[in-house]
Amino acid sequence: MRYGFVIDLKRCYGCYSCTVACKATNHTPKNIDFAKCIQGETGIYPSALRQMLPTLCMQCSEPECLKVCPTGATLQDEHGVVTVDKDICMGCGYCMMACPYGQRHKVQLWETYFPDGPPELDPYQAYAKEKWEVKNGYGIAAKCDFCQDRVNDGKQPACVEACPAKARYFGDLDDPESEISILIRRERGFQLNPEFGTDPSVYYLPAR
Amino acid sequence: MKAQPGNIKEDVWIPTACGGCYAQCGIKVRRVNGTIVEMDGNPDSPAGSGRICAKGSAQLMTLYDPHRLNYPVKRTNPEKGVGVDPKWERISWEEALDIIVTKLKAVYEKDPRGVYFQATTVQTSEIRFAVVAFMRAFGFKNYWVSGGGLWCGNGAHFMNGIMHAAWSIIPDFNYNNYTLYFGCSKGHGAGHAALQTAQQVADARARGMKAVVFDPYLSTQASKGHEWVPIRVGTDGAAALGMINVLLNELNIYDAHYLKHKTNAVYLIQPDGYNKRDAATNKPLVWDPEDGTAKTFDDPSIKDFALEGSFEVQGTTCTPAFQLFKEHVKKEYPLDKVSKITSVPEKTLRRIAKEFGEHARIGSTITIDGKVLPLRPSAAIFFRGSQGHVNSGWTCLSIDLLNHIVGAADVPGGSMGHGPPVCQGHPDTGKPNTVPFACPDGLMEVKGWVYDHKPYPLRKPSAPQRLDLQDMFPCSIYNAFTICSPDWEKYLEAFKIDYRPSIMINFGSNSVMTMGNAEEVTENFLKKFEFIFSFNIYHNEFTEAVADVVLPDASFLERYTPCVTFPSTFCHPTGIDQWVWEIRQPVVEQIGERQDFNAVMLEIADRLGLKEKYLEAINKIIPIRYGGEMAEKYKLTPDRIQTWEDICDNVLRDRLGDDKGLEELKKTGLVKWPFKVEEMYWRWFVPVRVPIYFEYFLDAGKQLKEVAESFGMPEIADYNFYKPLAQWNPCPSHTMDNPEFDLWAFCWRPSFHTQSSTQNNPWLDEISLSDPWVYLVQINEETGKRKGIADKDMIWIENPVGIKIKGQARLVQGVHDEHVCIAGCHGHWAKGIPIAERKGVFFDDLIICDINYTDSLTQGSDTCVKVKIYKCEEGE
Amino acid sequence: MILKAQTKWGWFIAAYLFLAGVGGGAYVTGAVAGFGGPEWTLISKIGVLLSFPCVGVGCLFLILDLGSPKNFWRSAMKPATSWIARGTIVITIFMILGVLHAGLWIWPSQMLDTAQGLHTLISVLGILFAFGTMIYTGILLGAARPLAFWSTAMLPLLFLVSALSTGIMAVIFIGSLAGAAGHALLVLGKIDLLIILQEIFVLGFYLQATHRVRESRASARLVLAGSSAPLFWLGVVCLGLLVPLAFDLLTIYALSGPAGHTLGLLASCCGLLGGLFLRKVVLSGGIYAPLAAGRFEYALTNI
Repeated sequence: MRYGFVIDLKRCYGCYSCTVACKATNHTPKNIDFAKCIQGETGIYPSALRQMLPTLCMQCSEPECLKVCPTGATLQDEHGVVTVDKDICMGCGYCMMACPYGQRHKVQLWETYFPDGPPELDPYQAYAKEKWEVKNGYGIAAKCDFCQDRVNDGKQPACVEACPAKARYFGDLDDPESEISILIRRERGFQLNPEFGTDPSVYYLPAR
Repeated sequence: MKAQPGNIKEDVWIPTACGGCYAQCGIKVRRVNGTIVEMDGNPDSPAGSGRICAKGSAQLMTLYDPHRLNYPVKRTNPEKGVGVDPKWERISWEEALDIIVTKLKAVYEKDPRGVYFQATTVQTSEIRFAVVAFMRAFGFKNYWVSGGGLWCGNGAHFMNGIMHAAWSIIPDFNYNNYTLYFGCSKGHGAGHAALQTAQQVADARARGMKAVVFDPYLSTQASKGHEWVPIRVGTDGAAALGMINVLLNELNIYDAHYLKHKTNAVYLIQPDGYNKRDAATNKPLVWDPEDGTAKTFDDPSIKDFALEGSFEVQGTTCTPAFQLFKEHVKKEYPLDKVSKITSVPEKTLRRIAKEFGEHARIGSTITIDGKVLPLRPSAAIFFRGSQGHVNSGWTCLSIDLLNHIVGAADVPGGSMGHGPPVCQGHPDTGKPNTVPFACPDGLMEVKGWVYDHKPYPLRKPSAPQRLDLQDMFPCSIYNAFTICSPDWEKYLEAFKIDYRPSIMINFGSNSVMTMGNAEEVTENFLKKFEFIFSFNIYHNEFTEAVADVVLPDASFLERYTPCVTFPSTFCHPTGIDQWVWEIRQPVVEQIGERQDFNAVMLEIADRLGLKEKYLEAINKIIPIRYGGEMAEKYKLTPDRIQTWEDICDNVLRDRLGDDKGLEELKKTGLVKWPFKVEEMYWRWFVPVRVPIYFEYFLDAGKQLKEVAESFGMPEIADYNFYKPLAQWNPCPSHTMDNPEFDLWAFCWRPSFHTQSSTQNNPWLDEISLSDPWVYLVQINEETGKRKGIADKDMIWIENPVGIKIKGQARLVQGVHDEHVCIAGCHGHWAKGIPIAERKGVFFDDLIICDINYTDSLTQGSDTCVKVKIYKCEEGE
Repeated sequence: MILKAQTKWGWFIAAYLFLAGVGGGAYVTGAVAGFGGPEWTLISKIGVLLSFPCVGVGCLFLILDLGSPKNFWRSAMKPATSWIARGTIVITIFMILGVLHAGLWIWPSQMLDTAQGLHTLISVLGILFAFGTMIYTGILLGAARPLAFWSTAMLPLLFLVSALSTGIMAVIFIGSLAGAAGHALLVLGKIDLLIILQEIFVLGFYLQATHRVRESRASARLVLAGSSAPLFWLGVVCLGLLVPLAFDLLTIYALSGPAGHTLGLLASCCGLLGGLFLRKVVLSGGIYAPLAAGRFEYALTNI
């Protein structure tokens, strides 16, 4: 059962809900986003087009990050989800150079979201910081893991559940009758930059 | 107790309604050991269906923001003004209430009329009955809601109310195939049931629905749309009238049956422009061509209605309104003229009109729930962008007339009043009942409107008693041109207003930033108040400039609000299977000394000795706002009501049933009941007509002129606006001759901010800083190059009266080449919101609030302005 | 669309790459010199003695740059796929060989003076691993496939040539101060001159090859005319190549004696700095490929 995503660019209207829902669920520190969205524009006026590209870890079948990781901290489980063992990672940052999708992150400390506020953290940040430290930590690589905690609880990844336009789908790529497999086949789903040979598990449906 | 992962004593989900904007989506909030740690959509609520947007997820950061106000303060610096340091001193609630009650009492005894309240659209559900009740009990009439006038409201709500009994208008996403979007984002933005419409529009698009988006900006909706039609700002009405001309006079496409039965298109009009009325009953007459005679419009013997022709009735030659309208658009709005006004090519307008007309499939039907209904899968919708101009009211009507011409109004596939206006009430109580009814002339009157102004019948112009003279105007909600201009005192004297502003009660409205030019608003309007107290969540530009006492307001996560999704016309999702009545309930104890302003106002009313009057006023407002008389046992009386929760409980039981009080509803946060097809597609179930010919504007204009002349100020309006047929009038920006000011500036709203209130949220700040457009000034790349401006240059944007704002340029392809496109409402300077400070551009400063920039019909503000742009010098 | 460069690998990594290169180049200089006559002995010893300390200090910089240095010892765990792991092994072996070489030849033992065979063996192995070290610094960057400025075969070549050059210059520098034979220094200077010329050509080819894709073109713009341009033109081209070239020419063909001596010292200093700056410029210029989705291209913003 290989976990995969489909993101329907025809439905996505660029609201950043996935980015913030992910941040809230994964308690990511300041300026770290596991589900970053990038705005884009193409064409010449008046035939211009705009489309937001939501990104997340592609959980590639041939992950570059796993290849370059010197310590073996980067692992891939039977579902294809790539994780980092925070006790092994030495924080060299090689994976950050190797990932073509910018989905590996590193942060040295918990910077408060309220730099003009008092030094002690508010109750939510205190909670979030501890959750972050339990799962990730500082100085080591951190990344999206398709919300495995939620998935193991029978829920969908946070970004999938938040999306107001229902543009995100999560499921089993190995099952040809799963919703995402059908969508990929029928709607001509494509991967980003396949020339890197990473074979991502995230497919996009065309914007138009 | 800290919420530590290994020490969980409590982990609960509380259902409530989000208050991050005014979409009122149902959410579930997770509380662990007393701390809110997660916000999710509530799948149980059809307002959102389990989804949550960026603003919603981010709200817990606003809850715990250390810059939030947690205790009352008073101003110790007597000086007021933009940028002045108020020198706050912390005080206790007792002292704050003491000061406030003393001031209010003095004013109440002397003259209560000079009080003004200001509120924000974000808290519409919170103020809708309680604050208005205080106003009635105390005895003042002045109010302003942020968003109103400038940002939305005057034209849009007025016309939508007349034509659809609703606050705004969306396509029926269930069956629509083709929608023209004018100046609105429905399904791609925030506010009014935003998340539900986001799903609906995505589903519709997947089904093949095409959106043709008229917009000076390649907005989100234009990007997702089938076609983007760049149009000059403020000219939407002209485009619509041009297309109506094509439909009526070139293509002969119109829904005769609808026009005959559901509009006043068949009413006979005399040469003087008035309805020809029956001598006995005074009812408007129509011509029955089968019987060859005039009859009253509701005569049961009518076999058919004449839409065109010339008929002798009692010695007068009369013409059906439809013919007048048809000739009017042919004469006044030929496509070559419209193309010049709008910058949209003639061919494009003609093609789109044809597509619109053909997609309407006039004559087709569909069977839903066993009922045969007209199927009209075409729609034309509009909102804030279209109506924010001098031609506010007429622009809205012109666009909506496209719908009525093809019969696509509140039927499957067509344009729908949004939120759904027609409710027969909860099965247990029959409340709220908001089924419109016909006035004696057969035209639709609404029930359950959001604020004081009913869209129809119009107010009869008479000597004004309000400080903004609003009650003199027939159609106005509120306006800015009187109060924000240096002429305010002149107006007050001329119109013999025998009192002056005394106290302002401000409920979270950042009016310094959201009415117009900040200096003008502050100096001309806000500083005229002797005492201002404000319930707020931050120290913002308003509190720092002019507030005397600031009280820390509870956020939506810390308060009870009993009626969130009703009146349905404001924010209830449209076109779904179920009605949902949501409540808001606290998820955490109020942090610090924060209090729900409704609880405080109840206390203040009590201390002023007005408690009984206040509760009595609520008893009178509930039936109007929420459709249906109050049961005796639930009417509010001083002995039964001690707290705000008591009020909530009684209102809920009265509206929804004995078993649906506050305690019961806290469990699920909502009550649902099924939508009936007569409620959803109500147009052919409710025996009302709507006007395509606004005969009553003639009298309204005459009466307004009389009143204005009697005070020696006939120039208070341009009476040409008070004509019966739709018209397009230019803004000053369209007729300005000065070649130096060669670009139009306008603003748009991002979906991940709520006006001026969310920029201090660090999560929203993060995405804003990484967004390439929201905090910058977007200019067409060719235009920028022509002016020697490079991407990321700091530039000045200056309006014709010398006001200038600064911003960083972003050269793009997605802006009409004659325009400068700025996201509002950013560019904060308040010290109390350091994260928001200096991010983005403060567009509103460019707005000119005077009579020339005001709609004479609805007194809405013009939000476009001609500008010149140039690079900043070094060090500026 | 403004493509962005990576920001995580900065001066510390540049120092590591630079010092690894200097150590390798110095060793090769020393080891090869060790096959020459007695006038080369001091040079040879200097080369050997510079090798493992330079690499060692370089590794220190690397460890300091790590986010979680306590795990640095794990850095050799995955040589099957990871170039850092392979490099760690190569560099470790190289340093061991350097220590052996120095320990058995200079201090505490001098046994290699008489064990010619062993000396040759160690030298040859050392040269092999020195080359490995020098080339590895370029290959390491090359495995970052989205950064087209790095993932080119020209980069290991460029770093190799630069490493040899800076290695020689380091030996010249120390050798001049230590009073090595003027003739030997002169020969080193002539060899360095040739290598610098080669480096200029390789650098030119390297930059020319960036026309290939959009992101490498953006890198070239950044380096030649953008934010890294001052460091590139002043630091790498002038200080790192032209000045040593000019001074070398002067020293060889015009000046000799104390003036030439001073010039030689200066040239080496400048050249060494230039080597460091070259690594930094290459790191700063690493720009990610845009993400392509249909008609749209997106610059990474998450980096």
